Amino acid sequence: MSSPAILGLPSPRDEAWRWSDLSALPALAEASPTGGVIDTSGFWLNLGGPRLLFVDGRLDAGLSDPGPITCGATGVASAHALARLATGDGWALRLGADHAAAGPVEIVHVATGGASHLPALIELADDAQASVVETFVGDGWANRLLSIRLGRSARLMRSARLLQASGFVSLRDEAELAEGASLIATVLGAGGQGTRIDAAVTLAAPGAFAEYGGALLARDDQRHDAAVAVRHAAPNGTSRQLWRAVADDRAAASIAARVEVARDAQKTDGEQSLRGLLLRRTATINLKPELEIFADDVKCAHGATVGELDARALFYLESRGLPPAQAKALLTRAFVADALGRIGEEAVREAFAADAEAWLEATL
Amino acid sequence: MTDVRNREALDAAEKASTYEWGFNSDIEQEFAPKGLNEDIVRFISAKKNEPQWMLDWRLKAYRLWLTMESPDWAKLNVPPIDYQDAYYYAAPKVKPMLDSLDEVDPEILRVYEKLGIPIEEQKVLAGVEGSRKVAVDAVFDSVSVATTFRAELERAGVIFRSISEAVKEYPDLVRKWLGKVVPIQDNYFAALNAAVFSDGTFVYIPEGVRCPMELSTYFRINAANTGQFERTLIVADKGAYVSYLEGCTAPMRDENQLHAAVVELVAMDDAEIKYSTVQNWYPGNAEGLGGIYNFVTKRALCSGRNSKVSWTQVETGSAITWKYPSCVLAGENSVGEFYSVAVTNNRQQADTGTKMIHLGKGSRSTIVSKGISAGRSDNTYRGLVRVGPSAENVRNHTQCDSLLLGAECGAHTVPYIEVRNPSAQIEHEATTSKISDDQLFYAMQRGLNAEDAVALIVNGFAKEVLQQLPMEFAVEAQKLLGISLEGSVG
Repeated sequence: MSSPAILGLPSPRDEAWRWSDLSALPALAEASPTGGVIDTSGFWLNLGGPRLLFVDGRLDAGLSDPGPITCGATGVASAHALARLATGDGWALRLGADHAAAGPVEIVHVATGGASHLPALIELADDAQASVVETFVGDGWANRLLSIRLGRSARLMRSARLLQASGFVSLRDEAELAEGASLIATVLGAGGQGTRIDAAVTLAAPGAFAEYGGALLARDDQRHDAAVAVRHAAPNGTSRQLWRAVADDRAAASIAARVEVARDAQKTDGEQSLRGLLLRRTATINLKPELEIFADDVKCAHGATVGELDARALFYLESRGLPPAQAKALLTRAFVADALGRIGEEAVREAFAADAEAWLEATL
Repeated sequence: MTDVRNREALDAAEKASTYEWGFNSDIEQEFAPKGLNEDIVRFISAKKNEPQWMLDWRLKAYRLWLTMESPDWAKLNVPPIDYQDAYYYAAPKVKPMLDSLDEVDPEILRVYEKLGIPIEEQKVLAGVEGSRKVAVDAVFDSVSVATTFRAELERAGVIFRSISEAVKEYPDLVRKWLGKVVPIQDNYFAALNAAVFSDGTFVYIPEGVRCPMELSTYFRINAANTGQFERTLIVADKGAYVSYLEGCTAPMRDENQLHAAVVELVAMDDAEIKYSTVQNWYPGNAEGLGGIYNFVTKRALCSGRNSKVSWTQVETGSAITWKYPSCVLAGENSVGEFYSVAVTNNRQQADTGTKMIHLGKGSRSTIVSKGISAGRSDNTYRGLVRVGPSAENVRNHTQCDSLLLGAECGAHTVPYIEVRNPSAQIEHEATTSKISDDQLFYAMQRGLNAEDAVALIVNGFAKEVLQQLPMEFAVEAQKLLGISLEGSVG
């Protein structure tokens, strides 16, 4: 018996969940996984680093090569409405000072129905460096909590692609960055599932850098929903939030991005760019670029636009001989590519671009 | 900040710690018993000799209000309000409906004189012929004490009345539109207002008439422990035009007073309404003691083709401001505009912005919001631009700029954009900045002192909005900006 009340799910009456549709979750929470074998070979990027396969939230040790990653209790917990369910065993990547993982870490989450809640921890000591790529496939509710702690000048590149055929993926990232640390996070939502991406990134010491963004591609009756808050708690921090949303059919893509600048966080440089592209008249784009500023010597700007493809750009391409459909596809691809360009490893970036491309081809 | 500038700022803050309009006049007044219950609602309705339908409407609103909760989504820290600890009706004892202005209590006239309403308006209030014409409806606490230029407006067919008179004289017209744009269930404060509103202004501009003069209402809270709940309804029929100004002040008191107004505008085919507000309620002292809680619901319905509503507001007063003048753009090619300057200083809190609801094809909206925060205040822009699925070719441009003066204040921007039609073009831009040392140095090097330099730069920052104001108001607003910010920057 799981109703929203029992699960304690927020409703659209809660300001932070105004555009979310969590109505599918109670049923998914009740259902049990069907098990079965899913061929995951196509989802590995074969980057030569450690790899983990989670099936319905449980580690498949046979197909995993954890390297420095430990699996078990993580000690991670959150008060977040969905992520608080992610207790129990998970995975943890802890790297000592000046260490780097041997190649990018690849994690594939396969869901076979039902719900799985998984906590995770990435803890990088001073000057350590890591790159983590997560892929979500299958069907069901994958609920994830990731706690990120970056030491002085540590660098983390995190990318996640949500490619489930159906169901729901909810991500909650909670990151804290020490002096000069850098976090670059990119999320691509290009599957058939509903999505809620939540992040709270705190630049806790001077000179930190955070980038959190991605592309949400929604069609049919999907709801993709991102709510990211970047908090500048110390001076001289830089943050970028670059999001692109495309909505087709009756789908809705929503992005609420917030920059908070604390009292003493002078010389903050915060930038937000949120853009939405509507492909059909029944689709919806919701944007909320929010600024909360308590320091006076800061540079914070945001831009937000919603519309369809620029008619002049389309005309230009057609005048150069491109058929209308191709011209449209080209411009849409460029629109989405903006948001994926920050992924560092070429192979990962290309894989993400290919997923976006596949989505566009199926849609346009 | 350099030490010298700091010192100047402190000196100036000292100097500016008084609110010019904070006097309180001793006028014989009549109050309803303190507190709020159905009897008070009946009392107010009876005082106004209202027809039964008005009373029923009020009671319905009151009962609804009892079931509602005060909204808490704004970035405001609102102390609990004791709705039983206030008077909901206060009126000067002299009979308010007068044939000639000479009969107005001289004490009230002195109040308006002291308020420094632009000189033309004072002359008008005092009945001097030949001055520039601005028709004024003066609302003193709960009742309208004077409405000027009635005869001349009537010749043009314009109805300009206090709303309690209009209920009696034009019941059909009032009944048709009252509560249509802001229904009683709209929000907590709108329901409260519908239950206890005591007066306000009613304007009707008939088809094809361009209102021959600016219309204006001046609101004044005078009595202690009173809430002011006024209701304004403006209907512009086909092809009509009206420009309406609204000003407000209150005495300095240590307790907080509640002001919950509702303004409804209706613009039919080709009609245009220009609504300008200079809001200067008492903001409380430097420590945040006292001041007006300003919870206002303002909404315009652009129901006709090519109709246009333009909101301009200069918000410098109130301890707490909660106000979102909005446009429902239902008519084809209708236009909504929102120009706002909101200044907060000391401990003031403002959460203000607009909603543009695009339902009509080809509707357009422009939003220009300038927020200036100083002292230890918080200033939030909160706006919504929504495009309905059948609204083709909608255009919106939003520009939100924030200026922070000092390191103790906050500036926030919370824009919502909800689009359901691909042909829409929605743009939103926002910046946050402070007055740079270079700008200040340049202005001071040309001979201005620090205060004047800041006032000059701030006026430049707010220019886009100020130039939307009618001339009489623009001058007042410019001065007000300077005064509100005195001592806030060094």
